[in-house]
Amino acid sequence: MSDIGVQIGPVRFKNPVFIASGICGYAEEYSPLVNLSGLGGVVTKTITMRPREGNLPPRIHELPHGMLNSIGLENVGLERYVAEKLPQLNQRPDVAVMVSVAAETEDEFVRLAETFAPMDGYAGLELNLSCPNVKGEALDQGRNPQLVERIARIVKERIPQKSLWIKVTPNITSVADVARAAEQGGADAIAAINTVIGIDFDLETGKPVFARGSAGYSGPAILPIALQKVWECAKAVKIPIVGIGGISSIDDVRKFFLAGATAVQVGTVLYNDPALPERIIAALEENPAWVTARALPARFAPAG
Amino acid sequence: MAAFFAPAHAHEHSARVIDNVQLSRRYFLLRLARPDGFVEPQAGQFVHVAVPAAGDGRFFLRRPFSIHDCTREFIDLVIVEVGPGSRALRHRVEGDRVDFYGPLGHPYPVLPGKRILGLGGGVGLAPLYYYGFRAPGNLGDGYRLIYGARTREDLFLEHVPLETRGVILATDDGSHGFQGNVVQAAERELAREPADAIFSCGPTVMMRAAQALADRMHIPHYASLENRMGCALGACRACVVPTTLDGGSHYRTVCHDGPVFDGSILRWKELPVP
Repeated sequence: MSDIGVQIGPVRFKNPVFIASGICGYAEEYSPLVNLSGLGGVVTKTITMRPREGNLPPRIHELPHGMLNSIGLENVGLERYVAEKLPQLNQRPDVAVMVSVAAETEDEFVRLAETFAPMDGYAGLELNLSCPNVKGEALDQGRNPQLVERIARIVKERIPQKSLWIKVTPNITSVADVARAAEQGGADAIAAINTVIGIDFDLETGKPVFARGSAGYSGPAILPIALQKVWECAKAVKIPIVGIGGISSIDDVRKFFLAGATAVQVGTVLYNDPALPERIIAALEENPAWVTARALPARFAPAG
Repeated sequence: MAAFFAPAHAHEHSARVIDNVQLSRRYFLLRLARPDGFVEPQAGQFVHVAVPAAGDGRFFLRRPFSIHDCTREFIDLVIVEVGPGSRALRHRVEGDRVDFYGPLGHPYPVLPGKRILGLGGGVGLAPLYYYGFRAPGNLGDGYRLIYGARTREDLFLEHVPLETRGVILATDDGSHGFQGNVVQAAERELAREPADAIFSCGPTVMMRAAQALADRMHIPHYASLENRMGCALGACRACVVPTTLDGGSHYRTVCHDGPVFDGSILRWKELPVP
């Protein structure tokens, strides 16, 4: 068994396989089905400054090659998360937890980072600057490179010992510009991608299936989109890229490494196949060369 | 501090299909060999089934099915054919394998010495049949069950001889048993002999009427809901329903907070009517 640990900023993770944000709640909910301590880590559902009720049901919609979701960042809010959920992570030092966070203004990011700075029990923060299921702010932030750079800097300055990942949207013309801005701001990694905006209609009602209309598309259908965005980011930045989107097999994971990713996150496939992360990790341990294989020309090879 | 939440019995199992029987026009019974290590389910709990698709594929999302029966040898699921997923399960044959995890969710309460009236509509019979007639622990003492469907063809009687067990049958069109819906049958039954609690499982409209009936009688009502689910572990928050406030949110998950809810906390007017 080979060491397939990965260094992302100041943190070393035991392997490059994570569970993506929004899939397994605050982390522990999946513990009966997934050996969380065997993973590189788990990214929590996104925590916002104030509690959010989320969107009107229905919230998921199955499609032939994936699903649409419109959860709407339902979460307990920063105060309760820090008081109730985060301290529990200290009971599981064997599980690396990246906390996904979102905020509406730069001031809020300051407060958020200052709240997390003195805490322990977590490996780092993943900034969700790209959720398609809430009004305005988050997605717009992720489309504005100058703002992404400022937000990254605000947060990184306050958590220098933690890993800072910026999750980017595919719903944009140039993901490379945003990735470069995040790197300028001091981010330790780019997490690419969030869901692709999609919509579906109910033929009986003649209306969109979701109350908000558009929703986030995930699953195997988005794999080539995610690979392409990772490829674009890998050519633009030196910091590691965490590839997310459409993984449903070990072959998919290998493609992310070829595209330039340093690590991957498994998402909605977990609902169907909760054993997949363990199978991926076992395969990578047997074939450690897959983790470092790159299709990029040498001059583009990413660091890490 | 609250302990880490973890559903205790969410283990993945692979089960062999023993039988797959058409029960009535739209219902079929999928009998699976009980896998080793499958925890004794409680009535109202469900399993989250990975549905095989063409070739080696699977439908992207699993489907939750309430447990209709469980012995040492087998687990029975009653499935109503509503779409491609349930149709794919209809075509599983003896020897095929079906993967699932469970048992999951919040079951019907055990109320010793109480007179319980169960109201099952359509496929909603499953957990109420299990509660009263099959689950361990003699839950059937003081238990009465009314089972209704639109028409005789939708009642399944051959597999489970319901009438010989005192189950009251109702059909909307009067083609079998009481003419009317189960809640109308329940009113008549409660006038004959009161109950201490109502358990319901069936269409939203039926359970909403059961709630109104329970309110009039000043007795508790426990309703089992269904919904599309992602994780079925309380993590993804996809299957939420509107309820009274619970720790900052008005939404609770059908998979973990339910599927059986104390009906008084549900905001019935806002529940979707499929």
